[in-house]
Amino acid sequence: MSNQVFVERPRYTCASGGAVATVTALPGGIPILHAAQGCAGNFAWTQNGAAGLQVGGYCGSLTVPSSNVQEREVVFGGVDRLRQQITHTLEVMEGELFVLLTSCVTEIIGDDVAPVVAEFREQGVPITFAETAGFKGNSYAGYDLVLQSLFRDILERGLPLQKGRVNLWGIPPYQDVFWRGNLVELRGLLEKLGLTVNSFFTTEDTVENIRTASAAELNIVVSEVYGLEAAKVFQEIHGVPYVTTALPIGPAATEQFLRKVAQALSLEPTVLESVIASEQRYYYRTLEPLTDCYNDMDLQRYTVVVGDGNYAPALTRFLADDLGWLPELVVITDSHDDDRKRALTLTVKTLTSGLKPHLVFESDGSQIISHFHQIWPSRQNQKYKHAFNPAFVVGSSLERELAASLGAAHLSISFPVSNRAILDRGYAGYRGGLRLIEDLLGVVIAGR
Amino acid sequence: MSFLDHKEPPRREERLGACIAMSDTVGSLVKKKSCLLDDGERAFSQGSICLMLPALAILNSIPDSVVLVHGANGCGSCSHSQNANTRSGSMHRTGKGKDAIWLSTGLNEIDVISGGEVKLAPAIREADLRYKPKTIFVVSTCVPGIIGDDIDGVVAEVQPDVEARIVPVHCQGFKTKIWATAYDAVYHGIGRRLLDEPGESGYATGLQGKEAVIAREQQTEGETAQVHQLETERLQRTVNLMNVSSMGRVDELELERLLRDLGLEVNFFPVFASPDGMYKMTKAALSISTCPTHDDYILKHLKEKYDVPYQLKHMPIGIENTNQWLRDVAVFFGLEARAEQIIEQEVQELGSALEEFKPLFAGKTVFVSAGEFRALATAQLLMELGFDVRGIRSFHHDEFAEGEYEKLARQAKTDFLINIANVQPFEEANLLQKLKPDLFLGHTNGNMTASKLGIATHVIYNTGLSYVGYKGAYELARRLYRQLRNPSFNINLSKHIRLPYRAEWYQADPFRYIRTRGGRCHE
Repeated sequence: MSNQVFVERPRYTCASGGAVATVTALPGGIPILHAAQGCAGNFAWTQNGAAGLQVGGYCGSLTVPSSNVQEREVVFGGVDRLRQQITHTLEVMEGELFVLLTSCVTEIIGDDVAPVVAEFREQGVPITFAETAGFKGNSYAGYDLVLQSLFRDILERGLPLQKGRVNLWGIPPYQDVFWRGNLVELRGLLEKLGLTVNSFFTTEDTVENIRTASAAELNIVVSEVYGLEAAKVFQEIHGVPYVTTALPIGPAATEQFLRKVAQALSLEPTVLESVIASEQRYYYRTLEPLTDCYNDMDLQRYTVVVGDGNYAPALTRFLADDLGWLPELVVITDSHDDDRKRALTLTVKTLTSGLKPHLVFESDGSQIISHFHQIWPSRQNQKYKHAFNPAFVVGSSLERELAASLGAAHLSISFPVSNRAILDRGYAGYRGGLRLIEDLLGVVIAGR
Repeated sequence: MSFLDHKEPPRREERLGACIAMSDTVGSLVKKKSCLLDDGERAFSQGSICLMLPALAILNSIPDSVVLVHGANGCGSCSHSQNANTRSGSMHRTGKGKDAIWLSTGLNEIDVISGGEVKLAPAIREADLRYKPKTIFVVSTCVPGIIGDDIDGVVAEVQPDVEARIVPVHCQGFKTKIWATAYDAVYHGIGRRLLDEPGESGYATGLQGKEAVIAREQQTEGETAQVHQLETERLQRTVNLMNVSSMGRVDELELERLLRDLGLEVNFFPVFASPDGMYKMTKAALSISTCPTHDDYILKHLKEKYDVPYQLKHMPIGIENTNQWLRDVAVFFGLEARAEQIIEQEVQELGSALEEFKPLFAGKTVFVSAGEFRALATAQLLMELGFDVRGIRSFHHDEFAEGEYEKLARQAKTDFLINIANVQPFEEANLLQKLKPDLFLGHTNGNMTASKLGIATHVIYNTGLSYVGYKGAYELARRLYRQLRNPSFNINLSKHIRLPYRAEWYQADPFRYIRTRGGRCHE
């Protein structure tokens, strides 16, 4: 990162916002904010502008119950107000899972929420809490903290292990704008392997299956960076091991993902091989009719990839190893500790195509152009010059100015995505790879 | 001592006796004085917004500026939606869509314990070096508010080393329930820091100064006098038109068209206004508000300090409201006759154009929810269009709107509900289920309840759409006509999606969680 005294246009909201988004994606999930009144609105406006036109869900946006603490609570404490708010939430709101989420204000003033939540849990209310003050982290941290709370308080303990049952996570709802499509696709692939899958956030998931998720044989985290603390907590409490993989986009990464899962579960090789063969057949037969135009129109592109810890490596890998494009610069825009940086770097630096894109960790979009100039010197006045074109910037909607300055096409994938409408589109898996090709080339030929 | 002599503006609860939780009817409300209103609090509440959000909506639009949010990493992420407005707004005004630049000091756990000031000074310096802005707005949030960071102290310390003018804007969300305090917070910053004429305060660059000197030297005395005379005459018919982001360019153009017809020149403040040009608002002949909820703080300051009179009455949404708004401006300049000509022609043209839509609207019931003045003015327009208003929910209530309730009470065929609520969709769901209006108009992120109940909806505020003046009346009617012709999106949703409320809630008193505390002494 070029600078740490501020973050330019942070590409996330705070832990509390990430937690609210996560809870609203759970079946019958109701977040209860113990916060000042503006937090809910800040999250709603964030989704409004950055989540592919998806705001809220069953109980999101400005529907989120919130204690709306004021100066009085800052001075005298907010625990009484919280107890009143939870009591009344249960009178008014119809929910299957309630998750109390604390905030900057209520954590600084030291409200002890655990005993309050425990009172309600003792009465049989399906409620847990997460301490998600904004100063503790970003949306991704909030996602992880909510999962930890579910694993700690909502999942039943002591259930017998069920063979072939797995849990899937690593894709933060709304923060990954394509969360729904990605989860549905990966869930479907795991089901093809004969597994029973709980993925928490799809319409196939139920609170009942979340409660009994502790009976799983394996937890699968499709991220090298998000949801990992939760995986450790799950293992500690319920003894279930986990595997992590990069977000699998396209045939190469997805095959590796399936093999890794099959290996961890010691699955029957014939089932695995037949699923891979069938999916690859679908992928390549679908791709086949593109061949003429792909060649005739010279659709290979130099690429700058900008995204979060899930998308930047995953997109890079797909573009380089599956599609045959040329990612030259890869920018990871959220912050990670050294271990995770190493893992992310390894993914970007071990491409089977042999390409070695330049990888930087840079939060500030306006600085990307200077990273680019370092790896691709401008040769403006030469008659023969190896220019950076034709080019494509795959990033967030904040990369439009970068793309314009490079004369490159542009597609928004990583948060924020302000200029696309996304419902259940996903890029994960084999079919996700095909969607991604459609969307990338769709931009290139839009004026045709 | 003026409010602007303080670091922070006062809360509207104190300054205006604004209230936030109440239910009444229009017929009963007009008989009360707002200082006697029973304000309350809710023992169950849903989230809403805080003053930081509308404040950032304004600040993010201001060109050549950066907004430095001093707080935890998520505070100000609402800028992602405001950025769409900044892009389209700058596209409409300059032909080029530009992303706003907002930054976060990202206060973490260590900062909460040891203080955030140490982060702020280097952040301001780096922002100045990197972006070379004319202005850096330093927006303070809840965390520095509680841990006691002295934003103004840091700004004062850093300013001598920094090219940009630094403007502190205080937005501690927990301090006020009335988010309209946002406008005071922004105007407070502008009023304290940006109203000096460049050059006056030694601010103008050397080059600009030199050019002006040369230009002056080359003029003869006679020419100078003539230029001065022309400039004075121009200023005598120049007005400030205040827009805090509740109007898009299309609405600005409508009002500019009408004021130009009167022979006036218009400058818009503060959205999309250059920081170096803000001082021009001190030179105008008159400041005109389009929404008293927004502008009283700065208009009173401009009057007190710079002797610029102001007009703070009527919102030009609705036909009669627009007539009144225009008449008041005309009276100030002695242009009544011209105004009546304009009004007569506009009303006649608009009236015929609206005929097409009125049969569909006749007798349809409508429910409106928005900021107080906007809700009330829009309700009047809806009555003019032939709708039967059954309820209005306003985000807060203060003295400015008293006249508007009188207008509505006079026009209403039957008495109807008034509910003061900072959104609170649970009350709305209950009310809508009981009142079952044909149409609902709600604010941004405020239509989801009606929508999921299958009621035809339309957004009452969106800076891209036309609402204001005669053109706005027509365009709103045209959009409502469209929505009413096919509300299938909402009807289908309502058949398959449920709101997250218990069945019992719809049978309950919608206001059962309002705890009345009484008038201004509620705190």
